[in-house]
Amino acid sequence: MHRYRFVLYRPLQLLPVLFGISIITFVLVRLIPGDPARVLLGTRATPTALARIREQYGLDEPIWLQYVYFIENLARGEMGKSILYKIDVLRLIATRIEPTLMLVLTSVVLSILIALPMSAIAARRQGRLPDHAVRVISTMGIGFPPFWLALMLIIFFSVQLDLFPVSGYGDTFVDKLWHLALPSLTIALSLSAVITRSLRAAMIQSLRSDIATAARARGMPERIVFWRHVLPNSLVPTINLLAVNIGWLIGGSVVIETVFALPGMGQLLVRAIFSRDYMVVQGVAMVFACATVLVNFLADVVTVTVDPRVKL
Amino acid sequence: MTAPLLSIRDLVVNFHDDVSPRTLIDHVSVDLAEGEILGLVGESGSGKSLLCRAVMGLLPSTKLSIDEGSVELSGRDLVKASSAEMLAVRGREIGMIFQNPSSHLDPVMKIGQQIAEGIRFHQGATASEAREAAIAMLAQVGFPDPKRQFNNYPHEFSGGMRQRAMIAAALSCRPKILIADEPTTALDVTIQAQILELILDLRERLGLSVIMITHDLGIVAQTCDRIAVMRHGRLVEQGEKRQILAAPKHDYTQMLIGSHPSLPAEEMTTPAAEEMTNCHKTKPLLEIDDLHVRFDVGGSFFNGGSKVVHAVKGVSLQVMPGNTIGIVGESGSGKSTLARAILGLTPLSSGHVTFDGVDLAQQPRQAVAKLRRETAMVFQDPLNALNPRMTVGETLGEVLRFHGTPSADIPGRINELLDLVHLGREFADRRPRSMSGGQCQRVGIARALAVNPRLIIADECVAALDVTIQKQIVDLFAELKERMNLTLLFIAHDLAIVRNLCERVVVMYHGEVVEEGRSADVFARPQKAYTAALIHAVPDIDPDKKLLAPKIAAPTAA
Amino acid sequence: MSVSTARLPLSIGFSRWLGRHLTLALGLGLLAFFIVVALAAPLIAPYDPVMQTAEVRLQPPSLSHPFGTDNFGRDILSRVIWGARIDLQIAFIGVIFPFVIGTLLGTIAGFFGGFVDAVFMRIIDVILAFPFLVLMLSIIAILGPGLTSFYIAMALVGWVSYARLVRAQILVLKNSDYAVAAVSLGFSRTRIMFRHLLPNAVAGSLVFVMSDAVLVLLNGAAISYLGLGVQPPTAEWGIMVAEGQPFITTGWWIPLFPGLSIVFLAFAFSLLGDALGDMLGVHE
Repeated sequence: MHRYRFVLYRPLQLLPVLFGISIITFVLVRLIPGDPARVLLGTRATPTALARIREQYGLDEPIWLQYVYFIENLARGEMGKSILYKIDVLRLIATRIEPTLMLVLTSVVLSILIALPMSAIAARRQGRLPDHAVRVISTMGIGFPPFWLALMLIIFFSVQLDLFPVSGYGDTFVDKLWHLALPSLTIALSLSAVITRSLRAAMIQSLRSDIATAARARGMPERIVFWRHVLPNSLVPTINLLAVNIGWLIGGSVVIETVFALPGMGQLLVRAIFSRDYMVVQGVAMVFACATVLVNFLADVVTVTVDPRVKL
Repeated sequence: MTAPLLSIRDLVVNFHDDVSPRTLIDHVSVDLAEGEILGLVGESGSGKSLLCRAVMGLLPSTKLSIDEGSVELSGRDLVKASSAEMLAVRGREIGMIFQNPSSHLDPVMKIGQQIAEGIRFHQGATASEAREAAIAMLAQVGFPDPKRQFNNYPHEFSGGMRQRAMIAAALSCRPKILIADEPTTALDVTIQAQILELILDLRERLGLSVIMITHDLGIVAQTCDRIAVMRHGRLVEQGEKRQILAAPKHDYTQMLIGSHPSLPAEEMTTPAAEEMTNCHKTKPLLEIDDLHVRFDVGGSFFNGGSKVVHAVKGVSLQVMPGNTIGIVGESGSGKSTLARAILGLTPLSSGHVTFDGVDLAQQPRQAVAKLRRETAMVFQDPLNALNPRMTVGETLGEVLRFHGTPSADIPGRINELLDLVHLGREFADRRPRSMSGGQCQRVGIARALAVNPRLIIADECVAALDVTIQKQIVDLFAELKERMNLTLLFIAHDLAIVRNLCERVVVMYHGEVVEEGRSADVFARPQKAYTAALIHAVPDIDPDKKLLAPKIAAPTAA
Repeated sequence: MSVSTARLPLSIGFSRWLGRHLTLALGLGLLAFFIVVALAAPLIAPYDPVMQTAEVRLQPPSLSHPFGTDNFGRDILSRVIWGARIDLQIAFIGVIFPFVIGTLLGTIAGFFGGFVDAVFMRIIDVILAFPFLVLMLSIIAILGPGLTSFYIAMALVGWVSYARLVRAQILVLKNSDYAVAAVSLGFSRTRIMFRHLLPNAVAGSLVFVMSDAVLVLLNGAAISYLGLGVQPPTAEWGIMVAEGQPFITTGWWIPLFPGLSIVFLAFAFSLLGDALGDMLGVHE
């Protein structure tokens, strides 16, 4: 089990990255021109509130000391208050995590459900019609702007067929899935194009590999060669691709949540930018970054499980 | 004589591009008798592997097809067999093993499962029956602890053990025929000898018939009963092993046998005294004294401290001007690291390398500058050793210009260099990708000569080449040595080549020098058990000189 | 594999060439089409792209307005044509700075290794920890909306992918025999870096340039869609989609055509990337 020992010490190795993330989020807000206290509290802040925030974040102190205050406050779970919502930023974000998480999860599941059969069909019929179709579709699919695809899906499924809701998020679990149908389909169509391209290429390579030849030479039928040798060997690079694309996926969710008015972190970020609610921008960026780091860590665990050669 | 077990008749395999088809296998007819080992010999591109793929119905591309001929196996024509019928033939009647066990074993599947898989499918065994059978098979091919090793993954084994696992997988359903496609080419000689011995042993025990595809006539001489020689897709000659080796009829076979680097029989050597006196007259060009090279390999603070590989452990060596010294050893012996350390390409951990009186450890600046000006290296993979984006002329010109040749003289010097390595002058405009391996290696040698070096280090520089090309390159070195009084350090794993080219030889094992001396002496009367094992493991082209697989590969030197 | 093609009839030679390079021909043709449209916008656009005409508000596609009109009565076709200028510019400028910066820094990090490399890698790790669009949006939030902010944010964030790619290539090439040969022949570091390593390492990132152009185009359009990039009334495809959103029940054509333009321009880049990858023998 020592192959999984990295689970214990990897968080320590991630400290420099987390440190870097905190620096970038800290610097982001300090770069905004003007009196930082006014920037953070907005134009209508009272003098007492301004004085309080100057003290809490040491805004009159040198920049490095301000960073120390920032970290101190962070350690206490405080990232300031939102101007717009008048509540603590981290608590505000906490209420927005669920829709985003659900959106990302359903999108990933849906895109795997699309990509796996598509690439398998294409790879096993390489150079023939199904393969050409999959190649053209996936190559084009990568270039579909998610916000536009979302509108087209709304026009077709909601306006024309009246199948799915246009926007918002439900209350019950089923209702939520119902509302997530079009948003996650939008992301899944884009993401599955990326996965299909990679998985198809990996499968074709695997089908031609020595591993497959050796299995065929043992008299294994093509079915076993594909499912037991080709597929597992093609998954390893695809898992890495998925992990790399998770950042892209989360970024995409920002746009999609805005299109469908889903009350997630992405929508919160965009609204905060427009209302100059910088405490919230800072908080959301930080939480997103930590989530990406976590996902990559999980991808490492999966890779180690799937590929016995990998040692971390 | 009884009817052959497998009979290939007038087989033709064509490559169909959108123009006219090209014939890759041209009317080849070969028989395999029951219980015999047939050696299928040829160089790269001769079609020997393709022929066996055709027999298995596993042509590597859809553009290839069998257009004529038949492959008869116990009364059936495999060419006409349906794909379902071929499934029953592969693994069950014909097993196949390959050159590179590392790439042919599935890295994400337990080794035992890969063996059991065939048993389950072909014999309809249950999971536990298949497991038992696979464990028995692992034991047969020499796994010491098959029950436990069933659950190991391929990367947890050495190359030799992986090849044993592949043999086990191929033979798991007890086929009558085994096709072995260069089964030992990727292995060290001592391991090669063990695998060959295993194949011979399994033939006895299981009553196998074997087709042994190889480029090495030594292997054929040691293991096969009959030989078939292929070239350019045609069968050049076939017959009894001894008859062909003793009296080859075809020119190509003669050339192949002539190119085979053999260890000559113990000729009585001239006394070493004459050379010894020579040595004392001049100062050594290169002196290595108690050299150590250690590497930090990965391993982080968290990973249980850093890991250090001790690649070279206390090597001492003297090289006289005009000497040709061979350094031999198996993979992991530290011979290539030694070469790089000498040239200042790898940092020394301790000890001294003195080139022409300048000490690399004490005056690194001057020594490196001197080494760069006066030494050159020739590499193993000729294609990789040349910048793919530069023409031969640009490559040579760059070196010449850098070493201070006036611009006006450069074209002339390039021509001279090409002449020296016997390449046409038109090669100046070619790029590496449009040249053969042998041609690339000649360019590599020309580049080394462009420096006007006092010392050339050749690192496994013929290992990637076909035997006939190998011979040409070795002959070229011999010629250049004569003409230019070169000092040459020739690193190789092939003992026979070193024996034929070098006056002195250094045997390395696990970073240490095991034995050193005049080539003739060392090869005739090895002093150390390891050297002896190494020499005896080389398959000789004379069938009467028996191959001895070493039982223990450890050297006596501690 | 050296089949002579010299004796083949010309037509067969061409059709074989086309068969092999269909992707390249299609990609180049499509990109050339967009470039010509962008350059000739003043000549071929039937109307002024920002001119509002109240009488023709929300007209479906017709002969006089092939792509229809929007809620201000502006001609969608003309806006799509003029939009090509902006979106091509987004793709080119958005790629070129990250490419140059990233390739240079990646080469330096990979070649020198050690401390320099460690520092660059940590910076890259941190930047990659942020979802790309989130970091872009945060930077634009500080700099204020607009295309210039987008380009600056692109240059600040986009270089990391190139740097990582080129660094990995350089690390492999640095240990290749021809690089060792160059060292053993005494060539200077700069010579080895720029003459021997960089030209071979850049092949991989050239292919990546094309797939990156797709991402940059999509992100640029997305940021304009969110209202943080190109500002109205300028014609740009992303913002045109946003402008069409309120009218999805009454004017499906408003977002349809600008979106399709993005899809086809992106397709051109993807095809070129695939063709280049095949030609250079590089795969992502």
